[in-house]
Amino acid sequence: MNNKTTLPQEGNTLVKRALKLMGNRFEISIQESDSERAEELIQLAVDEIRRIEALLTTYHPESETNRINEMAGLAPVEVSTEFIALIQRAQRIAALTQGAFDLSYGSIDKRFWNFDAGMKSLPDPILAKKAVQLINYQNIEIDPLNKTVFLKEKGMRIGFGGIGKGYAADRAKEVLVKQGVKSGIVNAAGDLTAWGKQENGEPWTIGIADPRAASHLFSYINITDMSVATSGNYEKFVEIGGKRYSHTIDPRTGMPVSGIKSVTIISPYAELSDALATPVMVMGKAVGLDLLNQMKQVAALIIDENNQLHTTKNIQVI
Amino acid sequence: MKKICLTVVGLYIGLFAAFSQSNTDSSYRSRKLKIEEINLVSSYYHQEGDHAAVTGGIGSQKLTDFSNSLEVKLIRYDRANRKQTWSADIGLDHYTSASSDKIDPKSVSSASYADTRIYPSFSFSRENEKKGTEWGAGLSYSGEYDYTSIGASIHGSKKTANKMGELTVKGQVYLDQISLIYPIELRDGNSTDPLKRGGDSRNSYSLAMSWSQIINQRFQLAFLLDLVQQQGYLSLPFNRVYFTDGTVHVERLPDSRFKVPLGFRANYFAGDRLVLRSYYRYYFDNWGLTAHTASLETSVKISPFFSVSPFYRFYQQTGVDYFEPYLTHTPGKDFYTSNFDLSKFTSHFFGSGIRLAPPKGVFGIQHFNSLELRYGHYSRSNTLQSNIVSVHLKWK
Repeated sequence: MNNKTTLPQEGNTLVKRALKLMGNRFEISIQESDSERAEELIQLAVDEIRRIEALLTTYHPESETNRINEMAGLAPVEVSTEFIALIQRAQRIAALTQGAFDLSYGSIDKRFWNFDAGMKSLPDPILAKKAVQLINYQNIEIDPLNKTVFLKEKGMRIGFGGIGKGYAADRAKEVLVKQGVKSGIVNAAGDLTAWGKQENGEPWTIGIADPRAASHLFSYINITDMSVATSGNYEKFVEIGGKRYSHTIDPRTGMPVSGIKSVTIISPYAELSDALATPVMVMGKAVGLDLLNQMKQVAALIIDENNQLHTTKNIQVI
Repeated sequence: MKKICLTVVGLYIGLFAAFSQSNTDSSYRSRKLKIEEINLVSSYYHQEGDHAAVTGGIGSQKLTDFSNSLEVKLIRYDRANRKQTWSADIGLDHYTSASSDKIDPKSVSSASYADTRIYPSFSFSRENEKKGTEWGAGLSYSGEYDYTSIGASIHGSKKTANKMGELTVKGQVYLDQISLIYPIELRDGNSTDPLKRGGDSRNSYSLAMSWSQIINQRFQLAFLLDLVQQQGYLSLPFNRVYFTDGTVHVERLPDSRFKVPLGFRANYFAGDRLVLRSYYRYYFDNWGLTAHTASLETSVKISPFFSVSPFYRFYQQTGVDYFEPYLTHTPGKDFYTSNFDLSKFTSHFFGSGIRLAPPKGVFGIQHFNSLELRYGHYSRSNTLQSNIVSVHLKWK
């Protein structure tokens, strides 16, 4: 007989807020039953993301990023410890990916690169190479003792487009965890970090966009205490000679990359997942998978131009 | 081990682990990573000291390697853009059961004291989102020390054109094998009872139908009807029955039972502040048992810091035709039981929860974030009375 003596439980306590930060749509969701307290907590996370935005932006001349760029080829610039640490981590990823990830990616010659759907042929390889000649992470000189950063070449520029959103998500999460939030998700326009479990004890379910149509999901993954980032050429691509080229430019050759439709990276840090997704697209599936398979605590899903799914060895099909 | 489940949707022809042919377009080369690159994650925040909060707050040792433990579930759209789902699971758990030890009081810990259950299952479903239809099938196996069960099911559902109503039909078959463990004094050599130890089967067939209807955003209804036929050994071998002549026997019940529960559920969400959940069920079977269940649950948010959720459940059943209490069964009957779960009774279960979460902390203590107190009183007309109290405190 249906005569169980279990007590009814309270309702859902997930509180969400979506807003535009760092030029992207952020969504912060936390498990907190007191709705006013939840709003306070989310505000703390938002404030933290705004602080990072002010630090990294290239829109305000006073940001640390812009001060470094202005002094490129001239003199080292003193920056905060937090900023130095972020650049140091970025440099490790640059070395790891043989320069496919590069903070000085913004040094590309914009006059040469006007990527649009009307592009009919690939650029001349010599001209393309010339357009990326200022991109070189090895010319970013860090002096950790004096806390300075120096761009060795005049005209060189650094930017945090490939790592900043993930960093912001990690920091927002850290603020929330320190406030005692046991469970939540910070989603920085698709670069997201999830911790704890849902109210029903289940891990969070994270959808991954279908490279054929970003509004559809191609898969979903159940995670906790993990971060996911996806990079793909959903919208920005051209077809030349039957081959699909992404808007992503290989910083070594200056040519648009092809072969991969989307890369999803799973690791404990949103910053790392964010920073690894695009370079894997640049390096190609063979080199990218070989790299990721050697790394611990990193998993990846790659969908190639033929819609075939490739995964790192730590992902298993059942 | 950290376990990650991955579900993949899409029309992908192949699925490959790791290596593929090298990409000649790439200007990058595969290379062997250095140790510090292999361990990049664990040393990622090294220079900044403890950043354990980023990974969940327990500490950096919480970063467990998930090599070879990521599971992929596959869902794919077929050519007609219907969503298909396959899933397979192997569950494994451990349980302890105190009362099963009374089967043989001489052994301190019987085998069922801590059985391990293994229950693999396999299921498939296909959904046509456009037509609002779904169908699926599943197979399962469950094994225990004194029990194995093979199950098969098939289900289908169809939504109305406006997607507000949905009809679901599910058929299930369970083929169970049970080993009979008799009370010690009724085992071989102790009694002349014809049913000794050994095995027997019990098969259950059920057809469940439900109609759910969304009246509007706030009001939802569901009608439920089940038809269940059970065949085989339906008694419990360790239930003793004492006859008027003082002899002791094992419960004997018919080897066929037809059960029909008929239910109705209505939920009403009156804004954020008030939720009403109600449920009624009528049940009858061909053993002469009929039952009514009615329950009402509400949750009232009096202020953002204070909510009350009272509930009440009423249950009434008539006994089965074969029930008589202790020492009242006369010898010579075909069927007999003294299990009070099959007797006539009425039960009430009621109580309430209150939840306090003041902004300045409970009792003005800032870190004492919330206090939740739940109380339930359960009373059953034939003896059983119980009080259930639970307290949840949140300290930050």
